[in-house]
Amino acid sequence: MSLIYAQDFIAALSDIVGAQYVTADPIAAFPYRYDASIFGGTAAAVVVRPGSTEEVSQILARANTAKVPVVIRGGGASIYGQPRGVPEKNVLLDLTRMNRVIRINHDSMTVTAQCGIIMGKLQSACKKAGFYIFSPFAPLHIVSLGGWMSGAAGSAGLWPDIVSITVVLADGTVVKTGGGPGTNIHQPVNFNRNLGGPDFTGLFIGDGGSFGVKTEATVRITKFPPVLRATIFEFDTLEKTLELVKRHVERVNPHPFDPVMVFGPGAMKHFMPDFGEITNFTVQGMMQGHTAAEMDVKRDIFNALADELGGTRTPVLDAMAEAMAAAGGAESEMTMDWLALFNALGLTAWLPFTLPREGFCQIYYQLLDWRTKRLEEAAKKGFVCHGTWEFFTPSDASTLIGEMDAFFQDTEDPAVVDFARNMMQDFQIYAHQLGSIDVYNQGLMADLNARYWSPGFRTLFQSIKASLDPNNILNPGLWTPLNNC
Amino acid sequence: MKNLSAIKRYIYNCRKCGACVGKVTGRVPYVCPVREATPGFEHFSARGKIIIAQGVLEGSIKPSQTLADAAYSCTLCGNCMLQCGAIDQETGKPLVDTTQIIEALRADLLETYPDLIDHSYKKVLTLTRAYDNPWGVPRATKGKWAAALGLKDAQKERAPVLLFAGCTVASNLSLTDRAQKAASILKHAGVDFAVLGRDEPCCGSVQKRIGEFGLARSMMEKNISLFNATGCDTIVTLCAGCYSMLNNDYQADAAHAKLRPRVLHFVEFLEKLIRQQNLSFCRAKSLTIAYHDPCHLGRHMGVYDPPREILRNLPGVKLVEQAATRENTLCCGAGGGMRLFADGACAVDIGLRAIESARHAGAEALATACPFCELNLNAAAQRLDSLLPVYDIIDLVADSLKIPK
Repeated sequence: MSLIYAQDFIAALSDIVGAQYVTADPIAAFPYRYDASIFGGTAAAVVVRPGSTEEVSQILARANTAKVPVVIRGGGASIYGQPRGVPEKNVLLDLTRMNRVIRINHDSMTVTAQCGIIMGKLQSACKKAGFYIFSPFAPLHIVSLGGWMSGAAGSAGLWPDIVSITVVLADGTVVKTGGGPGTNIHQPVNFNRNLGGPDFTGLFIGDGGSFGVKTEATVRITKFPPVLRATIFEFDTLEKTLELVKRHVERVNPHPFDPVMVFGPGAMKHFMPDFGEITNFTVQGMMQGHTAAEMDVKRDIFNALADELGGTRTPVLDAMAEAMAAAGGAESEMTMDWLALFNALGLTAWLPFTLPREGFCQIYYQLLDWRTKRLEEAAKKGFVCHGTWEFFTPSDASTLIGEMDAFFQDTEDPAVVDFARNMMQDFQIYAHQLGSIDVYNQGLMADLNARYWSPGFRTLFQSIKASLDPNNILNPGLWTPLNNC
Repeated sequence: MKNLSAIKRYIYNCRKCGACVGKVTGRVPYVCPVREATPGFEHFSARGKIIIAQGVLEGSIKPSQTLADAAYSCTLCGNCMLQCGAIDQETGKPLVDTTQIIEALRADLLETYPDLIDHSYKKVLTLTRAYDNPWGVPRATKGKWAAALGLKDAQKERAPVLLFAGCTVASNLSLTDRAQKAASILKHAGVDFAVLGRDEPCCGSVQKRIGEFGLARSMMEKNISLFNATGCDTIVTLCAGCYSMLNNDYQADAAHAKLRPRVLHFVEFLEKLIRQQNLSFCRAKSLTIAYHDPCHLGRHMGVYDPPREILRNLPGVKLVEQAATRENTLCCGAGGGMRLFADGACAVDIGLRAIESARHAGAEALATACPFCELNLNAAAQRLDSLLPVYDIIDLVADSLKIPK
């Protein structure tokens, strides 16, 4: 048992959540030192698995009084690691027990769920009811709703659809954001993101869990789109590819059911290993909707745009598009568990970037050159790089989000892990210096993002943090060194 | 930690993404049955156990009772491997073989820290050494089921088929009639078969799952000689655990001779007999049945269709599928020695979910093809006060045949 905290503190936590959901056993806490990243998880003195907002509120009130650091964990799916907190002293809240779907509101078309729910489970529950949460480009089967909102929702998908969040502040105060019971005590239903006051929902999105613990959320849902069409074009230049993206986005802005994805030559080699040398960019347009006739028209429009810009289709690409379309539809789980493909490629150096469309081309090539040089360095050291991956997509009308990852074969060699870790970190420093602003507000990336804040932004952040969490107990040190907050 | 060292590639292939912890789809209500039936801390999940195995291998954690409990609280059902989905493109095999990691962790604990291992596992190993089976039943008692049936003795008369009852069927009074019914079915179909009776050995599966690799290997070597000496072409097992052991582990682990006969599960053999029209059914019993895929028959060995074909052929039987079925089937809870863990309470808790799943599918009865599943699912059904009976397919087939007593 932990010697850090007195037995009465552990007993108090046990009284709140039940003794079986509290552990100070170092072996039980050990797996939380790891997560999906190569940057690591959280060293914790105590791990607690609360089951409700009320329990979280009581835990935080107690921790705040005792000035105990509290670190929050969802699915453990971050690629940049977890908050470090105060190693060995942390009380870690493992929120994955809070995994209930509370209500699917057919009238208002929203779903309310506890924030520890894994997105795939939420998606599955919505699908059973005939609905769908728009959240592309995330491996839904590993990411929790709370983790997604705290860490990555500032990019594609879910972000504009979050209607309300129930947040427990550091002193245990429970807040419901959004237009609904939080802003009108006579309205029981959360139905709008921003009515009756400021957009406090937005305040807690992308905070990395620093401003409060998210325990429940209400999210907009749409009718499940059972029809999927896909079409794939090759382009010989990035400029033409981007022009197609631009024209498509101008039409759909981008509608949730009209994703368009651009793959670089490296990525296509994974899809089509026998295709020979691939030097072109490939654009995949997908049309999801409710009737075949409607989707066929959309596909024809996309095809016409691509044709105008000189895109070419081949029988192989057409076959691939057909296969993609067949994989969608009413039976599709839409869980995006392509992560297994990545996991099979070896140790990933994730190299994501987020840029405005303006000036994208030049920076894209600079980033690509950087990766090439670093991979040459790896080769000189004798490290086998199993493959590369280039991909980007418009996440809204003006933003392009993508990755140019590399995969290392020898996953057992600590030197390879170190190399990949440094590569990820150095890539982000370089990308930030070129203007990229990463979507992930987790672990190492929160710190990296914060290095490039303007003084005004930093002051605002620190003021809010100091106001909401004066004892700095929540994910301390996540954004800035502990003594700066 | 020689056993963990030997399979460390599986540990380091794991990206710790958590698919084995939280994946849920319309067909996968949960991945890890143990995590579902316990307080759910990470060390109860596959990812947590892999991290612990890595910690032990690297020397960053010291084994303790909690660590041993983590290692032994696993049914080895393999759902985590399946849902992980990371596959070696060349071999088609899982890149993260969780069952091998857990077994290796157990083996190293058993060798290096035997004091941490629960006495119930040690008892099984002691009984095996004394009685050559994990149940501690004397050979004479274990062979009783065959004594009065006048069956060929495989060591004296050659027959193309060896019916292998397995220790669990042959040692448990509530299950021994299963072996007798299986023999009757084979006779009815005119199959030339033999049995080993009181000399039937334990296959070594339970011992290997517990982590006693040395004992399991010596049993394996001895058994291979015995099986090969019978001159049979086919071994037909009644137990999914024996089937997986004889097919997988005997091929992978045997150091010397290889097992010559092919190994089939009874459902595979039976389905073939039905296809060849060697069996015809006449007694109709109107029953809506769901089939529970035993993990060691389904997920580990890919045998899904033969049991279903048999059930479809039984007059009056309507087969319904559960939401989680075939490779996604919910583990019954009995595998991996879980009936020995925490006095079996966790195993039964896991079984409750499988019973609920069958009831939810509208089944009036649940059929399976493994004595471990049958025992544990029956225990779960009793705990639920459920009227859902659990049958072995052999029972249903025997009931549908006109077999003279």
